[in-house]
Amino acid sequence: MDVGRHPNIDLLAYSEVESVEGEAGDFRVTVRKKPRYVDESKCTGCGACAEKCPTVTSDEYNLGLGKAKAIYKYFAQGIPSAYTIDANLCRNFQAGKKCGVCQKVCQAGAIDYKQEAKTLEFPVGAVIVATGYELFDARRIPEYGYGRIPNVITALEFERFLSASGPTHGHVHRVTDLAVQEALPEAEKTCQKAFKGLERFEKQFEMTSDAFYERYESGEFKGGDEDYEKWAAAVRAARKAKDELEELRRKAESIEAAHRLAFIQCVGSRDIRFNKYCSGFCCMHAIKEAIIAREHDRDAQVYIFGMDIRAVGKGFEEYRNRGAHEAGIHYVRSRVAEVTEERDHTPVVWYEDTKERVVRRMPVDLVILSTACQPSASAKPLADLLGIELNEFGFFKTLSHLPLDTTKPGIFICGCAHSPMDIPESVAQASSAAARAAQVLSGSGTMRLAS
Amino acid sequence: MNRDVLVIGGGIAGIQASLDLAEMGFKVHLVERLPSIGGKMAQLDKTFPTNDCAL
Repeated sequence: MDVGRHPNIDLLAYSEVESVEGEAGDFRVTVRKKPRYVDESKCTGCGACAEKCPTVTSDEYNLGLGKAKAIYKYFAQGIPSAYTIDANLCRNFQAGKKCGVCQKVCQAGAIDYKQEAKTLEFPVGAVIVATGYELFDARRIPEYGYGRIPNVITALEFERFLSASGPTHGHVHRVTDLAVQEALPEAEKTCQKAFKGLERFEKQFEMTSDAFYERYESGEFKGGDEDYEKWAAAVRAARKAKDELEELRRKAESIEAAHRLAFIQCVGSRDIRFNKYCSGFCCMHAIKEAIIAREHDRDAQVYIFGMDIRAVGKGFEEYRNRGAHEAGIHYVRSRVAEVTEERDHTPVVWYEDTKERVVRRMPVDLVILSTACQPSASAKPLADLLGIELNEFGFFKTLSHLPLDTTKPGIFICGCAHSPMDIPESVAQASSAAARAAQVLSGSGTMRLAS
Repeated sequence: MNRDVLVIGGGIAGIQASLDLAEMGFKVHLVERLPSIGGKMAQLDKTFPTNDCAL
């Protein structure tokens, strides 16, 4: 990425726009640069700080599926490559606590706990808004079970599963199976500790715990030493820990990759309860994920449940067909009513097959929800700040004859802040918005319409 | 007439707009809320239709 290096780009990451005053050709901007507590110019991005940081949290970039530290880099190839301290988590910022580990290990001397927010002011001639979108919160459709049934995930979470740099290194597993694998080391530790605790008694009384417990059970040590009671309790605890560990190991051994995948389309879009519009990219996204899942696992069986597949771009229909032929995707024209969970955590999709006009059920390994593209929560405050309008759906409003111009001259819009769109379209719009801004800056602000 | 541009948002759209304007010789201030630019696309493993790596 050249953005971090380009001499004409002043990259203000971890910053927010506070105010924009003035008009086209002459805006005054105030930006607040939040403190990273790390000097961007000194940090080499080596990661020694995060390795030693004692505070573990869930990883936002991996959508909470992985682990991160209180000093973090949002993702490995992130630009700028500097680390950031999360002051809400870091021990140094909590009252009465001291740490300073990262400062000690940082060879570049980049850590600065006293860094403060900076306010920058500068003039600009034009503004481009590219604030993107947010995904629909699938919890708002409780019948699909997201957040309640562990093996129901979103398409973006599945993307992290498929990624070699993601929490599962590209292997597709049921979420409940991952939880088993994760619990295993902890259970091993607990079990080891419990048996270690027995050694003290065994030394003291010169007897094995098993022999002792057998005799204890037969009533031999009743009413005797207090230590006998403690020993017996410790034996019971250790045996329980061992049973639990063995149960986990048994489960872990029987774990297989998740082969049967069900995508549910239009979760929160084309739905009069939430967003009436089509989110545009989810059909192709589901097909892409299905094709990659199949590349990773030749036994993958993918079902895509939806009203229809909207493949309206160049090469899209061909991609849809390729999905069917190469990846064996089954497109099921249907409406999914509900997802339920079996005892062994298998999710079951209940749907109406709209071709056959019957209600069916299908047990699968993972359910993947194609959640809708929604205006970002920051759209409204940003619109107020800039003095521009939003449309009926909450995306930024544009003029009918100038589709990238907002309701205020000199301010342009591109990407999903405009409306739901895929990456190539976002890129094309961005170039168009850049061209519109350039026109304003070169003094030919109004575009002549072809008559 | 000021010849600088403010780009709000460092996702794929903001990055592309910034690069285009910078290449045209305009000075760009790119503001991103998160510690790193990249936006949603950085979370994608591979992108349609060529299935190339997103980053």
